[in-house]
This record gives sequence, structure tokens and C-alpha cells, in this order.
Amino acid sequence: MDHIRRSLLGQLARLSAGAALVPLSSVASAGINDQPARREGDPSKRYGMLIDLRQCIGCQACTVSCHIENDVPMGNFRTVVSQFEVQQQDTDNMATFMLPRLCNHCENPPCVPVCPVQATFQRQDGIVVVDSDRCVGCAYCVNACPYDARFINEKTQTADKCTFCAHRLEAGLLPACVESCVGGARVIGDMRDPDSEISRLIDKHRDELMVLQPEMNTLPQVFYLGMDERFTTKPEAEPGIWDILGTNDKELGYEFDH
Amino acid sequence: MSLITEVVVPRYGIAWYPWAVQYFFLIALSYCSLWLAAPGLIFGKKTWMPTARVALLACVTTTLVAPVALLADLHQPLRFWHFYGYPTPWSWMSIGSFLLPMYLGAVVLLAWLTWRPALKARSYEADGWFSRIAGWLAWGNWQAPRALIVLIGLAALVASLGIMIYTGFEVAVLKGRPLWHTNWLPPMFVTTGLIGACGMALVLNRVTGLRHPETNRQLMAIMAIACVVTGFIALTWFLDGVNSVSGSVAAALASIDESPAWRSTAIEGSLAGVLLAVLAFVMRRSAARRKAMGWVIGLLALHVAWMFRWVVLMNVQTIARNTAGFNDYYIDFGSYGLLGIIGIFGLWLTAILLIDLFVPWREATENPRSNSVITPEMRTRSLSTSASSPVSTPASHEGATSHG
Repeated sequence: MDHIRRSLLGQLARLSAGAALVPLSSVASAGINDQPARREGDPSKRYGMLIDLRQCIGCQACTVSCHIENDVPMGNFRTVVSQFEVQQQDTDNMATFMLPRLCNHCENPPCVPVCPVQATFQRQDGIVVVDSDRCVGCAYCVNACPYDARFINEKTQTADKCTFCAHRLEAGLLPACVESCVGGARVIGDMRDPDSEISRLIDKHRDELMVLQPEMNTLPQVFYLGMDERFTTKPEAEPGIWDILGTNDKELGYEFDH
Repeated sequence: MSLITEVVVPRYGIAWYPWAVQYFFLIALSYCSLWLAAPGLIFGKKTWMPTARVALLACVTTTLVAPVALLADLHQPLRFWHFYGYPTPWSWMSIGSFLLPMYLGAVVLLAWLTWRPALKARSYEADGWFSRIAGWLAWGNWQAPRALIVLIGLAALVASLGIMIYTGFEVAVLKGRPLWHTNWLPPMFVTTGLIGACGMALVLNRVTGLRHPETNRQLMAIMAIACVVTGFIALTWFLDGVNSVSGSVAAALASIDESPAWRSTAIEGSLAGVLLAVLAFVMRRSAARRKAMGWVIGLLALHVAWMFRWVVLMNVQTIARNTAGFNDYYIDFGSYGLLGIIGIFGLWLTAILLIDLFVPWREATENPRSNSVITPEMRTRSLSTSASSPVSTPASHEGATSHG
């Protein structure tokens, strides 16, 4: 028997004998807080987003359209644009900096392994979703996410987050935030397809792209172009004002006194 | 240099409510109380039996009430069965959901076996409903062998180690909250839990009217050691991280630096901890002082153990992770806040009072045969004593309130 055939048979034997042990070994090999296997979604795709901050004017159209599309309760955000005023102290020059935030659909999402009932999981196309019928609302994932991308939805009393508008992607539509972006700053696409716009942009700007909190080792898949490194972690900033009114004209936010 | 203002600051509320503090507080008291009860109850050390009695009462009541707080912290409490429908061995919380019922079962079984002989004895006294209920609770005319109690006790001890490990690492694995993400947090939960458990046993030793001097001495000795170890762990945590740019200590220092509320909490917490350690050391030396001040130190110890959990679980959640400033948190009056905190303490008090009313826990011994009154001769004797003396009602139901 030649070498190739022998090794092939060996492989087959391992496969057949091992098949019975697969469920057991998957439990044994999943160490505590390790990433579980991905499920659902198209395994041939890997969705990601590139945000060209040079195009963002901070109009919050994405924030509003996301709220409408996904019925997000007032005061919570699946996406929001952080708006900064930067004053150069020696010259007194003012500049603004806009930073859209959303779920980073990390390659190593810290929110997934903590879920005690596997309600939150990563699809094979990389999108991190929550099964709101299974979620017990323990909020463990809300605390696990370093990006504040998750919240407990007061209407459903379960964990809620950005899904890259998976329901729209499946219907061949763009996510609400991408669709409504007036500057065309947000680009979403399949990063496994070398001809997709996002793949071409990533190739072109590979050295300039930044992600949020890279030191967390979560491997975010939302990439920022035109980013200032000071803003990749919590910026050393003074808080401004936040007040939005609910339907009953009650203030949902609060004002910092400083 | 540049000055940055964040114009729009979204508010991110806390995700775990004060229920979580109550759970972590009660469950730590629970497993540490079990350890305090272990020498007398499980390993048969006679001198530790008075301590074991109060510790067992503390352990059972906290074990019964803690899961209620945990359940209440879920936003979908009726879906708790999902924990068992979808077991998830890679999630600490899921592991805990399997450990907790095992631990609870073992503790309740241990207490029941320990209290059974005394319950049986009471069932033969002509004390109306109290005797009848004691008879029901004792459930049958049999004696558990000592080996069984030891076995159940050991099982409870093993389960308590599981609870200790899971409650610590459940929080410590969260790198999304740098202040929690340290291996020094789980041991801090344990040692502050031990301080709290000693405190609770000291308070119970006083308010139940037992006032056992040996118990005061033992508990204060353990508490003094726990204080030293806690201080040592805190110091190691600090020295371990003081030079790193990011991480637990850096996050703590940044918070203290930026927030007046954090500064006052840090000062208050340190003062209470140091005061407790000093008091425990000073009072420990004289029997008279121990007797007079035991319960005061006990209350202070409970305060330290509870405040540690409040600061760790609540205050840390107010640190904004991506936005400027702090997410101010004010305790709500409703069930997500004050009502929840008071409600859980009320439930715990109810559990203590019910057990005190219906279970003669003061008579529990480490040997199930030593006070078992189940032979007919002894039964008659017991009946005649209670008939001849009208004041022979067991101490347990004149206790708690009159001595408080």
C-alpha cells in the first residue's frame, strides 16, 4: 500500500471513529470562556465595515435611521456618532472630530462565550446576533462588551445590539445606517470577496486603518479610515451636554455639571 | 496640547442592578458560614459546636435567599429554565447555574439532618402546632448515621469551593471592565466574604441570646486573620498593577483621580476596613470586650463585606468605557433599587425568624444520637417534664426578639 493511500485510510478511520466522539470532544476542547463554534449564516462570507471618518459630518442620520429601522428604545443606541470638539491650546484653533460607533462584530467577541444560554452567538458570516427568544436578560454580555455596543432593550427585556441589519443584508439591501449616510462614509461588504468595495478599500488603505481598543485583543471588524489614534481608546475629554426628550417631553438624558 | 470636549454624551446605564450585590453578598456569607460551621458540624470538633450552630443558621438562610436575588437580577426571570435547557459549559454563569442547586441541596440536606434529632425531640413535647410541625419536618422515625452527615457535609464543602471559584471568575473574566479583569478579585471576594460571615455569626450570637464566649473568641480570631489576608491581597493587587499603563489598578486610580464620588468611596472603604482590622485585633484580646463589642464589630464587618461588593459591582459599572465623564447612578426607589435591597434583607430576616420559630436549631449537635429522643421511655419522660413545668418551652421561640 503506498503512502498516500495509507494516510488517506488513516484519515478516514480517524474521521469515522472520531465522529462518535465529536460532541464530547467539542465540549472538552471548549475551555471556559473560549469562543464556541459559529452557527447559521453564510460560511462563504465575512461581513465587515469600513468607516471613512473624513466623510462623516456627524449628522446622526445613521443614528436616527437605525432607531427607526430596528425600533430601538429612546436613550439606547445600536449606533451613535460621538462628536468631539478639539481645541488646540497654543493656537486656540478649533476642530471637530466625528466617530460613529456600532458593534464591531469582532473576530474574537468577548460577549459571545459569556452568554450562559447561547442566546448570543456569532454567525459563520461573522455577524454577532442575539436570539431574543432565548435570551434570559442576565446582561452578562452587556458588561462583557468593551465598546458599550450592547444594552438591555426595555421593550423586550433582552440584550440588544447592532446586527449589521442582517435582515436587510439577506434581502439584498444595505444596512439602514449605510443607506442613510449622507457622506457615504460607511462601507459594508463581504471581506472574503476580493472584488467587493470593502476588500478593495482595505487593500488600498491597509496601513492607515485603525480599530477601536486594539489592546483588548477582540479583533474588531469595523475599520476606521482617517482615525486619530487618541480616539481609539476612551478619549481624555470633558463631557458636554446630552438632553433628548421622550414622547412625553420628559428628559431622557442628563446634564453634566462641570 | 489640546482640549477635547465630547459634545454629545450618550448615557449608558448599569446592566447589573443592586440585586447582583445582594446575591454576591449573600452567597459569599453562605459558603464562608459553611466553612465556619465545618469544624464543629462536619469534623466533630466539640469546642467549635456553639459556633457551628449559629454559622449553620446563617449558612442556611443566606443559601435560601441568595438565589432569589440572582433570579431577580435577570430581566426575564421566568426564562431561568433556559439555563438548564441550553447548558453552556464554556460560560462561567452557566457553570454556576448548575453548581448553585447542588450546593443549595447539600446545605439544606446537611442542616435538615443536623436539626432532625432536635426536631424529633420537640415533636414529643406537648407544644401544639410547634410540636406537630417539628414532627412533620423531622419526617419519620429514623436516625441518620453520623457518617451520612459527614458525607453530605463534605459534599457541601466541595460544592462551596465550586461556588467560591465560579462567583469570583464570573466577574474576573470580563475584560470589558478593566477594573474587574484581575485575578486578585476572586480571592478578595473570598476573604471579604469570610469577614462578613464572621460578622454575621457574631451578630447572631448576640441577638439570638446565645452569647457564647468561645464563639466570640473563635470568630474574632478568624476575622482578624481574614482582615490581614484581605489587606495583603489588596496591597499585592496594587503593587502588581501600579506600574502598568492599563489594567485593573490603572482603571481604579483613573477613577479615583477623576471622580469625587470615587474619592470619597475609596476613603470611606479604606477607613472602614482599617477600623475593622484594628477593632478586631484590640477587642480580640479581652473576653469582656469581646462580649460587649462582638456584635458591633460584627455589624461593621457586614458593612465592609457589603460595601466591597457594592463598590466592585455597582460603582465600577458607572465608569464610562468609551465616553467622557461618569455614568452617574442614583439608587432607584423601585424594585431595581432600594426596594430590591430592602426586600432581600427582609426575606433573609423572614427566613431566620421562620427557622427560629419552627426549628430548635440551638439544640443541634454534631452527633445525631446524642440528643435523639425517640425511644418510648424517653418519650414519656419528655412528656412528663413538659407537663410538670409550664416554662419548659424550648429557648428557641422566646429567643430572637427578646434578646435583640
